[in-house]
Amino acid sequence: MKKRSLALILASAMVMSSLAGCGDQPAATQDAATPENKTEVVDSAIQQATTVVEESGFSYTGEGPITEDGGTIKILAQTSNYSNVDITKAPIVQKVFEEAGVEPDWQLLDYNSYEDAITPMLSVGNIDADIVKIPDNDPNQIWIKSGMFVPLDTYFDYMPNFTKWLSEHPVQKAELTAEDGHIYYVAGVNVAHDYQPVLMYNQVWLDKAGKEAPENLDDFVDLLRYFKENDMNGDGNTNDEIPMSIMSAFLPYMFGPAFGLDLVSGFQADASGKVTYAAADSENYRKYLEFLNGLYEEGLLEVEFTSLDRDKVIERISNDLTGVAFDYSWAMSMMYSNVLPYYDGTEKTAFVGVAPLSGEHKGFYVGRNFLSGMFGVSSKSGQIELACKFLDYAMSDHCQDYYQWGIEGESYVVNADGSREYTEKGKDNDWLQQFGINPAFVFPAQQSVEATDILVADWHAKINADQRQYVVDPWPMIYATSDESDTINMYLEDIQTNVDENATAFITGTKDIATEFDGYIAGLEALNLPELVSIRQQQYDRYLKALNQ
Amino acid sequence: MPNKKKTWKQLLYRDRYLLFMLLPVAVYYLVFCYLPMTGIVMAFNQYQVGSGFAGIYTSKWVGLKWFKQFFGSIYLGRLVRNTFLLQFYSLIFGFPIPILFAVAVTQVVRNKNARKVIQVSTYLPYFISTVVVCGMINNFLSPSGGIINQLLNKIGIESINFMNLPQWFRPIYVISGSWQSFGFNSIIFVAAIMGISPDLYEAMDVDGANRRQVIWHLVLPSIRPTIILLLIMSLGTMMSVGFEKVYLLYNTAVYETADVIQTYVYRQGIQSSNYSYATAVGLFNSVINFVIVFAANKISRRITDTAIW
Repeated sequence: MKKRSLALILASAMVMSSLAGCGDQPAATQDAATPENKTEVVDSAIQQATTVVEESGFSYTGEGPITEDGGTIKILAQTSNYSNVDITKAPIVQKVFEEAGVEPDWQLLDYNSYEDAITPMLSVGNIDADIVKIPDNDPNQIWIKSGMFVPLDTYFDYMPNFTKWLSEHPVQKAELTAEDGHIYYVAGVNVAHDYQPVLMYNQVWLDKAGKEAPENLDDFVDLLRYFKENDMNGDGNTNDEIPMSIMSAFLPYMFGPAFGLDLVSGFQADASGKVTYAAADSENYRKYLEFLNGLYEEGLLEVEFTSLDRDKVIERISNDLTGVAFDYSWAMSMMYSNVLPYYDGTEKTAFVGVAPLSGEHKGFYVGRNFLSGMFGVSSKSGQIELACKFLDYAMSDHCQDYYQWGIEGESYVVNADGSREYTEKGKDNDWLQQFGINPAFVFPAQQSVEATDILVADWHAKINADQRQYVVDPWPMIYATSDESDTINMYLEDIQTNVDENATAFITGTKDIATEFDGYIAGLEALNLPELVSIRQQQYDRYLKALNQ
Repeated sequence: MPNKKKTWKQLLYRDRYLLFMLLPVAVYYLVFCYLPMTGIVMAFNQYQVGSGFAGIYTSKWVGLKWFKQFFGSIYLGRLVRNTFLLQFYSLIFGFPIPILFAVAVTQVVRNKNARKVIQVSTYLPYFISTVVVCGMINNFLSPSGGIINQLLNKIGIESINFMNLPQWFRPIYVISGSWQSFGFNSIIFVAAIMGISPDLYEAMDVDGANRRQVIWHLVLPSIRPTIILLLIMSLGTMMSVGFEKVYLLYNTAVYETADVIQTYVYRQGIQSSNYSYATAVGLFNSVINFVIVFAANKISRRITDTAIW
C-alpha cells in the first residue's frame, strides 16, 4: 500500500514536470498594433465617429441629458479621502447625475484600502458595475488583457467629449493606447508639475538661526546640526528639538536628485535615452546611501525613520519640535503650517517650501504623470452605450468646471472682469470637500492649477509657482506588452523587496556599505535586473518613437 | 435473541438528530475548506485575471513553473527559516506555559474566587484584536517615549530601537503571542485536570504523596493524551504563522527575520496579482505542514502510544 502511494506521488510529479514545458509556448497572437501604427485604430475611430440618433429622435451630443429614458448607472469606485465626506451626497456629484438624467447606484470601497479590496474582485471578475475605477494605471495591462473592459474606441459614436479631448492631447492619446491599439480607459488628469512633494522649513526656526534655506547638502547638514544643538523652540530645553521629520518614503524624493538619481520612478533615462535602474547605480547610489548613513549615525536622521508616519509629523509640528519636513505641497499650508502654534497666516510664521537640494548633481523634484484615476466600462454591463455616454459626459469640460470650481453662486462667484473667486463658504476647505470639489474618487476629474491656487494660502500659491521650474517628468506611462508584463510581474516584486530592505540596512548600518555594497549590486543582477532594464529600455524607445511621431 | 445487524439506512434514521446537529459543521468544512482546496490547481496553471471562478480550472497549464521559480528564488531559504523559527519558538516557549499555568491554577490556588479572577484576567488578552495588540507593542517599544525604553533609560541603559532591529523581532513576536494566548489556551488543560477522578487524589493522599508528587505522578500523566493531541495539532500549523501580526509588526528593516511565507504570498498574490505563483508558494507551505503533522503523529504513536489517528 505504502509503495503504491509513493509510486502514485512520483508518477504525478513526473506528469507535472513533463507538462511544465507546455507553459513555454509562445503567447497567443494578439491583435497587436506595432509602434509605427500605435494610434492608427484609435485615430480611425475618432475620424469615423458620428452622432447616433436613437429611434425616439434623441441624440447625445456631449451635453446633458445623456438619455431621455432615465436609468441607473452602477459605479464601482472609492470613497472620499476625507473620512467625514459622503461623496454620494455631495451637491457637485448629484448635479452631474441630475443633468445627465440618470440615477447612480454606488458601490464605494474605502479610499485607503481601495487597491487591496478591488484587486481580488477584479481578478476573479467579480464585479457588478457599469463603470469601474481601476486601482492603478494598469501599466502591465493586467485588467486590459482580462477582457473585463470594453475597448472604448468601438463606442466613440457615444463619446464626443472624449474623442475631442483625445484629438487635442496626442501625447495622452498615445499613452492611453494599449498594446492592441485600443483605448480602454478614460483618465483623470493631475497637475503634474504643480503642488508636488517638496522640502519645507520652519521659517521661524530659519530666521532664529539667521540662515537662508540651504541649497546644497553641506549647508543642509550644517543647518540640521544647528537645529539639533540649539533651543529652537525656546522652551529652555536644548534636547527636545528633532532637526528633521521625514517619512522614509520621502527620502528618495528629497535626497536622490542631489546624487543624480530618480529613485522615485526607479528607472530613469539619460539624455541619450539610455535606461538605468537608479538603485543599481554603483557609484551614485552608493554615495546616496553613505550620505544617509552619515545622517543616521550623527542622529540627524532619527532612529525611528522607518516607522514615522504623517500623524507623528503633524504632532511634532504642532508642538514646535521639528524644523524640516518633506511632503506633498498641499500639506504646506493646509496641514503643517496651520498647526504651528504661532502661525498667523503669513509665510514668515509658516512651514515654507524651498528649492530642491543639490549635491554633485543639480537638484530637482520628481513630478507626477498627467494621467491618473482610470475609469473603464465593464464588458459585462447590460448598458454599455449608456455607460459610455455617462463616462463621456462626466469627463466633459462642463463637468470639469464643476469639479474644479463647484457650482456658481454657492462655492464661487464670477467677477465683473470674468475672473472667479471662491465664496466665503468655498474658502472653507471642509465645506468645499463636503460640497464634492475634485471628486476624483468617483469621476475622471481634471485638476486645475488656477482653482488650487485660490484654495491655498496666497504665499503658498506663490511658492508653488516658483517651484515649477524644479519639477521634472517622472518615468512615463507606457503600457507593457504581454511578454514584458509577464517578466515584470515575475521579477519586479523580488527586486523591490531587495532594494527596500538593503537601503534600510545600509542607512542604519546593519550592513556595511564598504564591504557589502558590491554584494548588493551582484544580488540585483542575480534577481534578473538586467532583463528588466532591457524591457524598460524597449518601452522607453517605444515611448520616444511615439512621442516623435 | 441475537441482535439483528442494522442497515445503514436504519443507522442513519436512528442517529438523524445527531447527524442534523453535525450538518452545519459539515457544510462549513465543505464550503470553506474542501471546495476551496480544489483551487490549488491554480498552482499549476497561469491564472488568467478576470476569468472568474471557472478560470481557476481553465487557465493555461504551466506544470511546475511556479514551483521552479520559487525554488530558484533567493528568498526561499529565508522565508522557510523565518516561518519555521517563528512557530518553533512560539511552540517551545508558548506551549508549556498554558500547561504550567493550568496546573498552578488548579493545584496551587485553592480559593475558588481567586482562581476565577486569575483565569478571567488571563483570558482577556486573547480577545484583544491583533491590530490593537500590535499598536500597543509599537507604542510600548517606541525608542522615543515608549514605556519599555523609558524604564531602560531609568536604569542607565540606552534606548533600543526594538522594532527596527532584526534580532528583536522573534522575541517580540513570541513573548507577545504567549502573553496574549496562554490564558485562553490553558482552558482545555484546566478542563482535563478537572476531569481527573477525586478518588485518585484521595488514593494519593492516603499513600502520603505531597503536592509535587501529586502533580508529577497523577496530574501530568492524566492530561498527557490532551497534551499530545494539542502538541500534534500545533505541529500541524508549524509553517502557518499568523499573517496579520507579522504584517502589522514588520518593516523593511526587519525583513531578515520577519518576512515569512504568508507575507511573501500576500505581496506576490494580492499586491502584485501573481495569483498562481502565490498559490504555488502557499501549497508548498501546506505540504510541509502536512508532512510535519504526519511525522509527529507517527513518532508520537511509536513513543507514547498516543496518536490522533
